[in-house]
Amino acid sequence: MICPNCGHDNLPGGEECAGCGQDLTQLDLPSASNRVERSLMEDSVGKLCRLEPVVVGPTATLGDAIQAMLGTGIGALLVVDGAGKLVGIISERDLLTKLDADGDSYRALPVKEFMTPNPETLTTDATLAYALHKMDVGGYRHLPVVRDGKPEGVISVRDMLRHITHLCKDK
Amino acid sequence: MDLARNLKIDSVSRLQPTPPRQVQPQQTVAEAVLVMRQSNVGCVLICAGMQLVGIFTERDLVRRVLAEGKRLTLPVEQCMTPHPVTVHPKDPISTAVRRMVEGGYRHLPVVNDKGCPVGVLSVKRIVHYLVEHFPATIYNLPPDPGTVPQEREGA
Repeated sequence: MICPNCGHDNLPGGEECAGCGQDLTQLDLPSASNRVERSLMEDSVGKLCRLEPVVVGPTATLGDAIQAMLGTGIGALLVVDGAGKLVGIISERDLLTKLDADGDSYRALPVKEFMTPNPETLTTDATLAYALHKMDVGGYRHLPVVRDGKPEGVISVRDMLRHITHLCKDK
Repeated sequence: MDLARNLKIDSVSRLQPTPPRQVQPQQTVAEAVLVMRQSNVGCVLICAGMQLVGIFTERDLVRRVLAEGKRLTLPVEQCMTPHPVTVHPKDPISTAVRRMVEGGYRHLPVVNDKGCPVGVLSVKRIVHYLVEHFPATIYNLPPDPGTVPQEREGA
């Protein structure tokens, strides 16, 4: 790692130059080598996420939630409290793993008992790389995008794949 | 490390699709749900003998069973998605990604030359492939790249 100040050849990963003491930490930040990497590092979640997320209120029932899923064609709904703050997320997977129902009897059950409480969230200025990493580590397909605890949007794994394939295609 | 090129060169089999969970068309929805829960997967393949005839996913459960108030004792063939879109183990990953994005699918059955399912490719495997592809970009980047630690960490 060559110091840009004095030209001293430092060991890779050094925090300051052994020759002149110059701070080298910025040199170790990864740099993008192609369009897709650049987009992942520089573009923010706000650019891709679907605004106006589908939310259900604190007193919603499973019947309401399933109607909302059917109407919008999406697989995860955000659950908010009376003040509009995000308290949970309910997805098709939650229904698969937690619901023991036959026929219509489940419809009046409260969403709150089946949602995943306190989900992982992002802010609109998080990078796409950060979002992708979060999806990979947690196995999430939807991440709520919040500001001051209130949901502003949702970013899905499908939004992400569409964006990346679009970038690959345009070359 | 050019992603567009590698997506075309690397094949679906490189992603090591998960082994398929199978049920017979006459088995009940409840049995299919049990298999999905026990193996913690979002879909099962419906196979008559060795041939793939359909797929039953968590989405089918919500939309075709719960939403319509159907009983879980119905045979799964009445609630499955027949003739699902598939990929071949030798197809390039780009083909799998394109089929997922266009159809909105989270799972693609991987089917060999004889029409027998050999695995299921999930969108999570694709995400992991992308993350592996850009290790420096994704793992090394602080949440806010503008900030630099004020003090060194460690001793």
